[in-house]
Amino acid sequence: MPIEFEHVSYIYSDGTPFRYVALSDVNLNIEEGKMTAVIGRTGSGKSTLVQHLNALLLPSEGKVKVLDRVIEAGSKPKQLKSLRGQVGLVFQFPEYQLFEETVLKDVAFGPKNFGVSEADAAEKARKALKLVGLDESYEQRSPLELSGGQKRRVAIAGILAMDPSVIVLDEPTAGLDPQGTVDMMKLFRELNKKHGKTILIVTHDMEQVFTFCDNVIVMENGKPRISATVGEFFKDSSLCREMDILPPALIRMKDALREKGFRFDGNVNDMNALAGAIVKQVKKHG
Amino acid sequence: MGNITLGRYIPLDSPVHKLDPRAKIMAMLLVLVAIFFPAGWLGYGIIFLAVSFMIILSKLSFNFIWKSMKPMMFMMFFLFIINCLVLKTGTPLLTIGKFAIYSDAVKQTLYIVVRLLLMIMITTCLTATTKPLDLTLGIEDLLSPFGKIGVPSHEIAMLISIALRFIPDLIDETQRIIKAQESRGVDLKEGKIMERIMAVLSLIVPLFVSAFQRAEDLANAMEARGYAPGEPRTRYKVLKMRRSDWLLLLGAALLLAGMIFLAFFA
Ligand SMILES: Nc1ncnc2c1ncn2[C@@H]1O[C@H](COP(=O)(O)OP(=O)(O)OP(=O)(O)O)[C@@H](O)[C@H]1O
Ligand SMILES: [Mg+2]
Repeated sequence: MPIEFEHVSYIYSDGTPFRYVALSDVNLNIEEGKMTAVIGRTGSGKSTLVQHLNALLLPSEGKVKVLDRVIEAGSKPKQLKSLRGQVGLVFQFPEYQLFEETVLKDVAFGPKNFGVSEADAAEKARKALKLVGLDESYEQRSPLELSGGQKRRVAIAGILAMDPSVIVLDEPTAGLDPQGTVDMMKLFRELNKKHGKTILIVTHDMEQVFTFCDNVIVMENGKPRISATVGEFFKDSSLCREMDILPPALIRMKDALREKGFRFDGNVNDMNALAGAIVKQVKKHG
Repeated sequence: MGNITLGRYIPLDSPVHKLDPRAKIMAMLLVLVAIFFPAGWLGYGIIFLAVSFMIILSKLSFNFIWKSMKPMMFMMFFLFIINCLVLKTGTPLLTIGKFAIYSDAVKQTLYIVVRLLLMIMITTCLTATTKPLDLTLGIEDLLSPFGKIGVPSHEIAMLISIALRFIPDLIDETQRIIKAQESRGVDLKEGKIMERIMAVLSLIVPLFVSAFQRAEDLANAMEARGYAPGEPRTRYKVLKMRRSDWLLLLGAALLLAGMIFLAFFA
């Protein structure tokens, strides 16, 4: 079941002098079982958009369909807890949500809230910690004395331990080291491919979008400006340039080579393919 | 919680916004004192009109002022109940079985409620039209004469300005943490008592951690830029009293004088 936005608007502090329209008339279709990137400038409404998926924000107008739920403006939806168990949302800078005495307890907090027994929750927490790359030695440490990047991993593990079928991540890799970032993205991709999770990820990193995602949504001034597959979006750099986005290095490389007379078809999407295509064309001419 | 209006600055372009903060604080104090004289309904009517005039001048909507009063409504209702139970003088207005509500209870409550509402109107008028920073500059200046008797006016002003500065941040932070924990299945509205305690704990701990973190960051940032309390500092903004400021003070003083007259001589 895809996730649908129909004419969704969201207004912060409506009825006060601070009224701000953060989303206006959003229509979107997010495919199930795919990994979708949400990109766009600071303040374009990405975080506001994704908080509608687990009903942390309720639309001011329009409706959102998630899994088997329809959340409509003006209605007071009940049983949001069950929705939140199915749609896991990792906040921007989630490291500030840690509070338990030990890392293990903190990660087990989510599953326990959804009625999993103490022992099972601890088991799920252990697995989730392993997934995000933290070994047993972290389990009994206090989450408050970890480094920023380690806290981030614990927070992400806290959501993964709930085993949601839709995972929403708001800039999960901002501030992680390069290796940590790649590991994290690989993990999300694996969860998507192997476990069939629908993943929505907010990011500013075009390399991540290009390398790991299936679809891409570009937000601009509270509206989705483009919703396309990654293949279409990065066919050449023209769309990126139009959006004022620096295209991934590979695309820029292809563009530069094209200017020098090389020709590429749509399948040249990684370093190996590019190297192969160059060698072939050089040989043909040499 | 996002709709807390009490004490919030509203950036508008109005003559009241441009007034000197010192004049506004002094005028507020004068009118607050004026309210405490038993000047009767005529007196409160005059003050109400004067304050309404200021609110209109400042371009604030009455809806906004109304919103700042709302949190007080419960307290006022409570007050009414207590007065009804305690005050048994005057004429009985309403009798329910053995229990009667007397006219003095209603009158007393109304007096207090009207005073409270006027006070909220006046303070809202000040805080909504004065930037927190200007407010503290004003307080510092007004306190500085007391420096000779050992009042640390600058430190007090700095404390107030930092506290004011942090209130909206802390409200935002609380909302963020509530959302983050709700995403992890915390239910703040329902649940058994143990679950509720856990829910509150899951908010308080991160809130404290982040508040302390913020305080430390701010202290470091201030020290890194050479701030040392007690050292002489120059000011970016120099306050200057203009004719309109004196006019405001004069108006407030007249209001006070009028109330004293109404209370004791009329
Ligand atoms: N609690 C709030 N109250 C009022 N306005 C808000 C609130 N949260 C966000 N906004 C405003 O809504 C707009 C969209 O914010 P949002 O957080 O969705 O942006 P974003 O695309 O996630 O940005 P970033 O890339 O910086 O995370 C911004 O202009 C912001 O100022
Ligand atoms: Mg954001």
